[in-house]
Amino acid sequence: MSNEEMFKQLSDAIVSCKKDAVLAAVEKARDEGIPPAEIIEKGLAAGMNEVGVLFERGKLFLPHVMMAAGAMEAGVALLEEDMPKDAASKKLGIIVNGTVEGDVHDIGKSIVSTMLQSAGFEVHDIGRDVPLQDFIDKVKETNADMVGLSALMTTTLQGQKDVIEMLKEQGMRDGVKVMVGGAPATEAWANKIGADCYAENASEAVTKAKELLL
Amino acid sequence: MATEYKLRMGDGKRLFMTKEQIVADLKEGMADAADLGDIPDLSEDEIDKLVEIITMPSRMVGVEQGMEVPVTHDIGTIRIDGDQGNSGVGIPASRLVGAMMHERAFGADTMELGHIDYSYKPAKPVIAQEMQTMEVCQQNMIVPLLYGAMPNMGLYYTPDGPFENPGDLMKAFKIDEARESMEHSAKHLTRDIVWIMQRMMASGSDGVNFDTIGAAGDGDMYASLHAIESLRKQFPDIYIEAGMAGELLLGMHGELEYDGTVLAGLWPHQQAALVAKAGANVFGPVVNTNTSKSSAWNLGRAVTFIKQAVKDSTIPCHVNMGMGVGGIPMLETPTVDAVSRASKAMVEIAGVDGI
Amino acid sequence: MGMPISHIMTSGMSGIRAAGDLVARMEFSKGMRIGEAKDYVAKKLDVTADDLSDEYVMRELREDLGIGVITSVAGAPKGIAAKSNIEKLLDIKINSCEKFRGQLR
Repeated sequence: MSNEEMFKQLSDAIVSCKKDAVLAAVEKARDEGIPPAEIIEKGLAAGMNEVGVLFERGKLFLPHVMMAAGAMEAGVALLEEDMPKDAASKKLGIIVNGTVEGDVHDIGKSIVSTMLQSAGFEVHDIGRDVPLQDFIDKVKETNADMVGLSALMTTTLQGQKDVIEMLKEQGMRDGVKVMVGGAPATEAWANKIGADCYAENASEAVTKAKELLL
Repeated sequence: MATEYKLRMGDGKRLFMTKEQIVADLKEGMADAADLGDIPDLSEDEIDKLVEIITMPSRMVGVEQGMEVPVTHDIGTIRIDGDQGNSGVGIPASRLVGAMMHERAFGADTMELGHIDYSYKPAKPVIAQEMQTMEVCQQNMIVPLLYGAMPNMGLYYTPDGPFENPGDLMKAFKIDEARESMEHSAKHLTRDIVWIMQRMMASGSDGVNFDTIGAAGDGDMYASLHAIESLRKQFPDIYIEAGMAGELLLGMHGELEYDGTVLAGLWPHQQAALVAKAGANVFGPVVNTNTSKSSAWNLGRAVTFIKQAVKDSTIPCHVNMGMGVGGIPMLETPTVDAVSRASKAMVEIAGVDGI
Repeated sequence: MGMPISHIMTSGMSGIRAAGDLVARMEFSKGMRIGEAKDYVAKKLDVTADDLSDEYVMRELREDLGIGVITSVAGAPKGIAAKSNIEKLLDIKINSCEKFRGQLR
């Protein structure tokens, strides 16, 4: 089997959301002498990208995304002994995500957290109706690379701007990227308040996080 | 230099495009809908008609005489006395005054009574107030007056409700527990909606509007369909409008079924049959506006989706055309030029039964 | 607020200015599609389907039928009274009228 065929098999196993299939494919790829980093990047991670696409198209659902992510974690764990220490468990980046104070909307933000997590980011979802200072504190505590700010109401959008101002005031703005989202948020709003990016939906959030952090 | 026409971005900003650019965007939006929903493209005649509507020079356009449709009004009188969060304009007025203004001053074809929080669950503690207001409104009004609110199943999850938050459970890979939590929440949501509507029907309501079904995913839809089914059995003549939250029914649970159909992943034309089966009279399909695309792209996409929903539905379709849906820009004050063009396109091309 | 008004002006049947409420009632009470609902109401009112959105035709007809008019004509049926006449005209039951009758001694 060519490497390309093996990568396809690994990717398909992830899309099947079955841990056993993923583990079997990883074993096989390892036996064929494919380097662990390539198994992860060109096989498993490519499969997770496909899972994200299928989720947006309504072909796979949130539990499947989590099952696929769990299967990928198990596959990566299997490769850990062949890799330099900590290399396998290294995350793509650290992201703090939450819905700003005064806004109790939770579900869309949680989907974004789940998709980011399953794409390989270390995500700290700090919930909804989050006091603005908590975003700053959590970024400091986790040494986060990015903060995601969700707002579902025109009345709470201002919270996104306020967090950016607080990051500036505390001299942290240059060290952390800011992503905004939520129904009333737009690209123009993101530009106006000085956010680094705006994401229309969960899969776009993953794409933009990768663009900014990788 | 080619003539440029005035359009809008999905966020409402002014945009200038040539006819060729408009056609290209329309076709791209249409193709996106056709691909996602596995539905047919619009015909060349329909695309030409859309271009004609978009490029009309007048600020406001209107449907051809004789093609008018009923315009139902959701969110009730909150638009009059509500705050910015509900797109309200903050005019101090009772709900009776607000409802009568819609009937007598604005020419609304139907009206709705809702409370300021606009979810079913918080209506329970104030049900006597809701009943009293419905009675007074019904005594004074002529147009159909429904009671409306959002199913909003998120209110049954922690920290707002008794069941553990499925989002948190899911992130901890506790998938079975997350699904159980959604199933429990759905049962309670169904029970609350039915309980509230039993009382509103006793107060003379013409019926019920389910606003933004599926906002919390497939569990929200599951609960709403069961509530519709129960209400239809108890009140054979009740008016039931089932309006959706988004174009795609999000699979938070993924395995919930209604009448043998998995709910997760359904597009508007697929949702229509289930809503009718449950017992609704009117279906309110939704297509989301992409704020980063032009109004041509959004309208091409929305009309393609809705046309198929109208075709596949066995009950009247009142397309949802509020802020950020149905080709309307995502803007607190959607521009008249964009609203009237989207409105005309939905009636004349998608063939909706109402708005 | 401008958005619903824009829709009503662009596409609506003008409610009780014309016959939008009646067509809506047939969609809601019988699940009729727009064409069928318009034909049904037009037949009951003995007008054309186009007349149902014509304020000129409907203004006088609504007053004659006692089904409510947009201007507050003194002595003309309003509220429950107008809806009771609509029940008879369209051959449907309206919940608020039923509840009202149920309260009479």
